[in-house]
Amino acid sequence: MMAEQNGGVLVVGEVDNAGALRPISFEMIGAGRPLAESLGQGLAVLLMGSGIGEAARTLGAAGANRLLVVDDERLRDLTSEAATAVLTQVIQNLNPTVVLVPGTTAGRDYAPRVAARLGVGLAADCVGLAIEEEELVAVRPILGGRVQTVVRMPGSRPQMATVHPGSFEKAAGDGAAPEPEPVPVELNEAELRVRVRETVQGGGGSADLESADVVVGGGRGLKEAASFGVVEELAAALGGVVGATRAVTDAGWRPHHEQIGQTGRTVTPRLYIAVGVSGAVQHLVGIQGSDYIVAINRDPDAPIFKIASFGIVGDLFEIVPALTAELKAARG
Amino acid sequence: MALNSVVLVKQVPDMNAVKIDRASGKPVMGGQNVVSSYDAYAIEEAIKLKEAHGGEVTVISLGAPGAKDVITRALAMGADKGVLLTVPDPNTLDTLSVAQALANQLQAMTFDLLLAGQGSDDYEDNHVGPQVAELLGLPLVSNVNSVEVADGGRHLTLQRDTEDGRQILEVDTPVLLTAISGLNEPRYPSLKGIMAAKKKPIEQVAAAVEPAGDRITWSDPVAPERTVTGTVVQGVPAADAAKQLVGWLKEQKLI
Repeated sequence: MMAEQNGGVLVVGEVDNAGALRPISFEMIGAGRPLAESLGQGLAVLLMGSGIGEAARTLGAAGANRLLVVDDERLRDLTSEAATAVLTQVIQNLNPTVVLVPGTTAGRDYAPRVAARLGVGLAADCVGLAIEEEELVAVRPILGGRVQTVVRMPGSRPQMATVHPGSFEKAAGDGAAPEPEPVPVELNEAELRVRVRETVQGGGGSADLESADVVVGGGRGLKEAASFGVVEELAAALGGVVGATRAVTDAGWRPHHEQIGQTGRTVTPRLYIAVGVSGAVQHLVGIQGSDYIVAINRDPDAPIFKIASFGIVGDLFEIVPALTAELKAARG
Repeated sequence: MALNSVVLVKQVPDMNAVKIDRASGKPVMGGQNVVSSYDAYAIEEAIKLKEAHGGEVTVISLGAPGAKDVITRALAMGADKGVLLTVPDPNTLDTLSVAQALANQLQAMTFDLLLAGQGSDDYEDNHVGPQVAELLGLPLVSNVNSVEVADGGRHLTLQRDTEDGRQILEVDTPVLLTAISGLNEPRYPSLKGIMAAKKKPIEQVAAAVEPAGDRITWSDPVAPERTVTGTVVQGVPAADAAKQLVGWLKEQKLI
């Protein structure tokens, strides 16, 4: 098989705490498939976790040539040491040309460790990937997302990248459904030193922000925690998620993990709606990767209007509920 | 038992002062260099732990000789001593080069806790923490927003937010933690702290470092293409403004 001769492209999927595939798993195949085709090589997908047989079959049907499965209870929480050991061994056996890791909390922990263990380069949090002259060319945002740099790794085998959530089309499946191949790996107990005692559901959710198609961000203009109801209702009407500025999270109106901006999350949705957000640079750097920015603010001189595709100057407490009602009416 | 910490810090250009040159699309840095945002949380946490449990806080930075300023600031906040690993040209280094140089230095030191910011304001790789952990064979917990010390500093209970919710983790020291906002409120150096910092030692060492070479290369940064139509609706009733926006969202196929 081609994948075995030439290495091919290896992408890694991920399941959540409940064992369901994260949406980025399909984006990984969407990102890896064109690279494999450009190289004329196969695409293998690796899923590691605990009790993941069903999830693996679903992911395999999304369009991979090979489906590698490492199902081990010690991989339940994908701690960096365990995941590093597994991915390193899979890479050493498979000898892939390109390895793509999801830019999730776990992926961003273990991918750099694997790259260090193998002594190879790693392009972080990429939003664009291509093959030129048989080499991976990766585009990634830097300086708060305001500029991009093009990364190449000519001296590295494999060439590794982490993939920014929400940046690639989800693979829909091409009918191929490879048989799951269980991969034996060695896990050294002495290396598994971090123990996840408990995961309290719903305390986080930051990844939803990063992979969301629509984000509604609330700022100081909302005046108090209770006002976020109008933001939540607008987000719900659009099927989006809620984010906030640092002023809001520092004031305790919203949890810290919802903070978008320089010291918070970077979002890249199709649509970002800024509600009562003045547009401090620290916030703008976290939203500039959005395809479209809409601003609602009472101050016509607010900096947010300078980067907004569509702006409404006025009282957000009148406009946002009117907008939510209009959206509901438009949907029927 | 005392808890000795080493904090990895990076000096970065002030992101608030970065301007994009419209003609070339290239970024122009402002004059000021600052402590990378997340590193400030790491410094603060180390100082807080020292105040609560005793021990010593050492700050290490790798950079050009001017990077000494970030160490001085950490000393003014309350750290005890600094090490500056100097490199002639930091721009030839990738994260693995930097991690190797830091790991070489750290191998000769003893500590219970290694702290770093989750990522740097400028390149945002989020690699150096995990790669230093890897090279030193240490466990890693990233995105930490709460640290509790038990068993005289031998054991830590940590919290962090992930995609699934709030994780509570257990680990024995030594360990590498990367800090994120929400961990604490970094203090401003007091006048007394600034004066005291002048007497604290900063060791300057030429870093044992190898450039990235062709392991990884990166282009000059360029601003991505961005077209802003910039429709602004003003002075119309809320219901009309909402209708116009919904119409626009339909045109753009956003709904």
